[in-house]
Amino acid sequence: MANKKVNKKDITGLLKEWGQQFAVFAPSRESGVAAMAEWDGKDTSFLDWYRNTVVPPKASFLPPMEEMFRFQKGKEGYNIAPPPKAERSQLLFDVRPCDARAMAILDMTFEQALEDPYYLSKRKSAILVGLGCTNPCESCFCTSMGVSPAESADVDLMLIDIGDDFLVEEVTAKGKELISKTSGLKEATKEDEAKAKQARKASYDKVTRKLDTGGIKDKLLASFDDEEFWEKVAAKCISCGICTLLCPTCYCFDINDELVKQEGTRFRSWDSCGFPNYTKMPMENPRQEKWRRVRQKVCHKYEFYPMTFNVIACTGCGRCIRLCPVNWDITQVIESVPARTEAKK
Amino acid sequence: MTVADTKFFAQGNVYLPHIAVIEKIVEETPGVRTYHFNFKDEKLRKEFTFQSGQFAQYSVLGTGEATFCISSSPTRRDHLEFAVQRVGKVTNALNRLGVGAEIGFRGPYGNSFPIDFLKGKNLVFIGGGIGLAPLRSLIWNVIDNRDKYKKIDIFYGARTPTDLCFKYDLEAWDKDKTVNMVTTVDRGDDSWKGKVGLVPKILEEVAPSAKETVAIVCGPPIMIRFTFPALEKLGFKPEQTLTTLEKRMKCGIGKCGRCNIGNLYVCRDGPVFSYAQIKDFVSSEY
Ligand SMILES: Cc1cc2nc3c(=O)[nH]c(=O)nc-3n(C[C@H](O)[C@H](O)[C@H](O)COP(=O)(O)OP(=O)(O)OC[C@H]3O[C@@H](n4cnc5c(N)ncnc54)[C@H](O)[C@@H]3O)c2cc1C
Ligand code: SF4
Ligand code: SF4
Ligand code: FES
Repeated sequence: MANKKVNKKDITGLLKEWGQQFAVFAPSRESGVAAMAEWDGKDTSFLDWYRNTVVPPKASFLPPMEEMFRFQKGKEGYNIAPPPKAERSQLLFDVRPCDARAMAILDMTFEQALEDPYYLSKRKSAILVGLGCTNPCESCFCTSMGVSPAESADVDLMLIDIGDDFLVEEVTAKGKELISKTSGLKEATKEDEAKAKQARKASYDKVTRKLDTGGIKDKLLASFDDEEFWEKVAAKCISCGICTLLCPTCYCFDINDELVKQEGTRFRSWDSCGFPNYTKMPMENPRQEKWRRVRQKVCHKYEFYPMTFNVIACTGCGRCIRLCPVNWDITQVIESVPARTEAKK
Repeated sequence: MTVADTKFFAQGNVYLPHIAVIEKIVEETPGVRTYHFNFKDEKLRKEFTFQSGQFAQYSVLGTGEATFCISSSPTRRDHLEFAVQRVGKVTNALNRLGVGAEIGFRGPYGNSFPIDFLKGKNLVFIGGGIGLAPLRSLIWNVIDNRDKYKKIDIFYGARTPTDLCFKYDLEAWDKDKTVNMVTTVDRGDDSWKGKVGLVPKILEEVAPSAKETVAIVCGPPIMIRFTFPALEKLGFKPEQTLTTLEKRMKCGIGKCGRCNIGNLYVCRDGPVFSYAQIKDFVSSEY
């Protein structure tokens, strides 16, 4: 199958064309931090500054705050109505391979057993257009987590920087179909493919941070009750929640009601296992102590998710390392888990 | 072990509650009430099914949702019941509602007591405080099919005689010759004639045989923590001990991340667990 290419100068036109069918989202700093935001129809300066978003693109499918339904009390009692569905599907432009993988990991939870209609209706109708990294951060360790910075099977289309052009790879049938209806793309030549191959390797080699995750699930299980170890790991954490709220594979949410006169909404909002109230029960709190909460965060990703879904829920995106105010570092933690075979009690 | 059935989704969306109407309120103790209710929708009222041990998310719309087990038995289906200890926002809002008020209900969620595993065995029920609510659903279920089970012991404890929930049930089980009912309180009063002492201690005194027996435990975490070792001393293996766990819940269906104990979500994989399943984590996560 021959791939296509698009000249960098033609990106505006391409997004405009896609914008007729989709709500196009692209990296933006409009809100103060880099995040996916609805494209304004002209600005493509993100192509210059973009490394990755601070807010992961999971926010497109699991927004920080989301209405679940409205209710109204009338003469006949309560009336409940879900919010109207979005008119147009989303097209996310320039998703990084680590974040695309993260959404595949989130799908496992939202699809399992009872399906989550809010997440899945948005997710399944969306198109992901990936963009290979040319300039990974020092904190990135995706290559240790089975992700390659300029390759992805988790997007519909994948763009790779080959100089004046982006190579456009058709990854899924959905992506292929979109390309067949898109004008202005040129056929990629053999030289283009060769350049892309080189670019993929160059990106891969630029990720210098490495993490050995061998046997981590069992090591964590054996160290679960090692309070001394976890106390040390958690010592400097200030429980701000950033590393979880902005982690692309974290999905915890809270549910609350808001009532104005007789009309109300129920909404959900991001939550974090790092917060002490998260598990607070009327009579007691199983995770009052900070080390228990930090243990939960680490074990959920590297022990529990593998136990349930056979995959580590971390893609090495490095956000939790870059954004932590006290330089807590998940790679250091994982490396320091004792290699014991018997459970420490 | 199943998660909730999609056929009881409101409008095809797992998060939308059905509207139910409170039909009766029973004052159990100064802080605990039982609510009898039925669905507003005629069809759902007829078709709704559940199993002992399952729970639901109940809402006071505008205040929020809270998790309670269905405390009535599936063998007695003219209405449904849940029992509530008043502790916070939603439970206090429920307390302000009267007969005829509308509440939201989504469920049933979670697995249930493994009836087929229990059949033909001796059963030892061990409950504390409001923890009798889920056991009560199973106890009536078992009594309504009495010939399918062997010996039945019920141990139930509360802090004081006034804190005993479901007194009408305790009386009925006490009178039932096919059931051995042991009620205990931490502190008695002048009129108290039953046992005095914590449940695990009384359990060790009475010492029911572990042979072909399943113990089913539900109560406050502190009681659960002391009851497991007591049962082990009596010869109960971890596979022979069942419990229902309580964790703070929001979604009820394994999505919001809140209720985990190790790799298990209490809402998705429980709330009924064997001690064998949770042994690794229970010491430090419960
Ligand atoms: C499977 C299952 C079955 C259950 N079955 C029953 C049952 O049958 N009967 C029953 O009575 N209960 C049952 N429970 C417990 C019940 O769900 C809780 O008691 C109930 O959700 C409390 O709701 P609330 O809104 O009244 O309390 P909330 O107001 O939400 O909180 C209760 C307490 O938690 C603390 N708290 C909450 N939020 C905060 C915060 N932000 N900051 C500080 N402190 C906070 C407060 O101290 C408060 O008193 C069950 C729980 C589970 C998981
Ligand atoms: S970002 Fe850092 S300080 Fe904040 S909760 Fe995570 S580890 Fe703790
Ligand atoms: S744990 Fe850290 S590095 Fe891993 S996916 Fe989450 S934010 Fe990225
Ligand atoms: S209550 Fe949400 S995961 Fe269990």
